[in-house]
Amino acid sequence: MSNVIPETQVIDRRTIDAVLAGDQAAWDLVVKRFDPLVWAAVRAYGLSAADAADAMQGAWLRLVENLHTIHDPGRIGAWLFTTARREASLLRRRNQGERLVADPVEPGGADEHAPPDPALAVLAADEGRRLWQTVETMHEPCRSLLRLMAASPDAGVHQLAGRLGMPAGSYGPTRGRCLDRLRSMLTVQETTA
Amino acid sequence: MMRPSPTLDDESLIAVLRLASGQDPVPGHVSAAARAAFALRLPGAVAARPVVVPAPAGVRSAEQSCLLRFDAGALTVDLEVGSSDGLVDLAGQISPWPGAGSWVEVRTPCLTESRELSQAGQFAVTGLPPGWFSVVCHHRDHPPVATSWTRIRP
Repeated sequence: MSNVIPETQVIDRRTIDAVLAGDQAAWDLVVKRFDPLVWAAVRAYGLSAADAADAMQGAWLRLVENLHTIHDPGRIGAWLFTTARREASLLRRRNQGERLVADPVEPGGADEHAPPDPALAVLAADEGRRLWQTVETMHEPCRSLLRLMAASPDAGVHQLAGRLGMPAGSYGPTRGRCLDRLRSMLTVQETTA
Repeated sequence: MMRPSPTLDDESLIAVLRLASGQDPVPGHVSAAARAAFALRLPGAVAARPVVVPAPAGVRSAEQSCLLRFDAGALTVDLEVGSSDGLVDLAGQISPWPGAGSWVEVRTPCLTESRELSQAGQFAVTGLPPGWFSVVCHHRDHPPVATSWTRIRP
């Protein structure tokens, strides 16, 4: 598995000061650092590429409008991840038929008061690798299902179910059970580590 | 290092699995849009935050339009959002009227429309692309007031 978040690419106070001073190159660094994270966050909601792009743009626009509230550069990733998830969740609700002409917004500052998102603990590259090592020890159909899910982000349920040899109606519930199982295995690792 | 918590929801787990597998790269135009968002920063602007508006009686059917209110303390931005042909129409009211020489910009990631305010503090912009927008009110001797970015899909 590739290391998609180079740990050396740290966004520090100096970078943020440059961003605040209007330095586009410094902003581009921030985007480069967190782009894969924000994209993964929104794509996990089963959004089309166009909707995912929309949700992602919302997260970046919110960061632009809240730049002056950043006190701890170490929390930008957490804030972006949480904000992107929120936008994606709203879009999915909309796509599922809820009427939200303009989405409700409750933008907050990009500061350390935002509650930490539990997912952030596993966002470090090492943890991602460990997660996949755990997946590789899972029984079928979970191992194949999770591999396929990661490898085919644009595939529909029918396609995924077909490739796994299961009825389309079984894919969602099976995926849910596999994710539950993965969570349990991680918890066991946690308590025995 | 922190360990994963059992409170990870499905979407977080999926995100982390996909992120670590590196098989869903960010499309180039999406990254480009993120870089371009920086041009929309407005240092020193006062934020107008969304507030809940009770639906007034007698307005056009809620299926056709919606009302949004943004509050910046000294200034309120009211917007009526409508749509035609898949494009977005905005009719706005700044209250109180900020005075002569004030104007608004309706900003989207791809275009900005400027309008002078009427004496009643009103403005209108039609035919905006669906998506993210922010209204900025410029008035003499004060920092600009900008509404939070809001997404509209007709």
